[in-house]
Amino acid sequence: MTGIAGYELLLVSLVLAALGIWALMPGRPVSVRCLGWGLGLLAALGLGVRFFEPSGPVVENALFYTFGGSALLCGTLMITCRNPVYGALWFALATLATCGLFLVQGAPFLSAATIIVYAGAIIVTFLFVMMLAQQSGATAYDQRARQPLIAILAAFTLVGALLVTLDRSPAALQPAPPVAQIEIANPLSHPGEHESLGTLRGLGRSLFGDYLFAVEVAGTLLLVASIGAIAIAPRRSQGT
Amino acid sequence: MMTGDIERYLAVGAGLFALGAIGFLTRRNLIMIFLSVELMMHGVGLTFVSFGRLHHTLEGQVFTIFSLTVAACEAGVALALILAIFQLSKSLDLDLWTDLREAGLPNPASPEELAPPPEQEHPQYPTLTPAGRAPVLDRRTVAAQSQNPCTKNEPLVHS
Repeated sequence: MTGIAGYELLLVSLVLAALGIWALMPGRPVSVRCLGWGLGLLAALGLGVRFFEPSGPVVENALFYTFGGSALLCGTLMITCRNPVYGALWFALATLATCGLFLVQGAPFLSAATIIVYAGAIIVTFLFVMMLAQQSGATAYDQRARQPLIAILAAFTLVGALLVTLDRSPAALQPAPPVAQIEIANPLSHPGEHESLGTLRGLGRSLFGDYLFAVEVAGTLLLVASIGAIAIAPRRSQGT
Repeated sequence: MMTGDIERYLAVGAGLFALGAIGFLTRRNLIMIFLSVELMMHGVGLTFVSFGRLHHTLEGQVFTIFSLTVAACEAGVALALILAIFQLSKSLDLDLWTDLREAGLPNPASPEELAPPPEQEHPQYPTLTPAGRAPVLDRRTVAAQSQNPCTKNEPLVHS
């Protein structure tokens, strides 16, 4: 039992979160779901205390807790809500919160691109498909969860193992020592010591300098995927 | 024990990945399964960006942009497939397609899940006793109704 010394708060919080999500799964009565919300709140408190850093700047702490907390909350609501239209909207909110985390970490272009691709395009298309499919109202297959116990057990075992491993190997969480510029295969992707990381100029130089071939391949992939989507999609004469 | 603030971003990424995995395994709606996969990709992207910031390189962001491209392709093809499946079964239920499983495996859907849902009972309409006189409808009143819908109730009043 000495192996888990120092991890009690983390493990207890994860177990509470797992129980809470199990209680929130679709198909449970309202009283069980209220219990699930209570357990989830306790778990969030425990994890917040665990990952609190009093030495860090206040603004970054506040932004992290806002965006990270809302990302996890919206993800939980997405996988537990019974109406797929609400599920898509919660997914859009989780996407926005993730983009906020990207922004805090100094990746503004990536944040904007993710919002455009996901919240702008994918969600609208999903809602469009759902309007087609859900004309008859609530469906039986959204009211039940398949094997929630095993799924939650597997997922939370993974999270617990990841967090404990990260905590135990601090060498993996230290910045890599600088290497000589000649030895690097992609020199444009390594900005200088004092250069900012998330500028559009640096990202563009990296994408169209070091990864030009990959960009071409990605463009080809988009073309092939759009041709495939048009070929697979049913014809209009059959009534979409 | 805490080594910089990178760990909490990685923790959020792992949490998003786990939530997406739970949704992928438990939901039975095709669209919700697909959205759960996208949530898993968000978690992975957050991990990429965190490690990229830790090592002060752009590789994390560049890789996330490529995974965004793949996600867009995947969404297009998957929506086309979902529409095609919806054409065939008029439902987004994944359990209708358990015939495609590997040979020799039991059906993952339990018997009570496979049973058709119980019929919704019709609401009790009140029974009204017939009252009043039946309206007289000859060809002229019908023509007048079709010409001027405002005078629809006139024969009833005058007769």
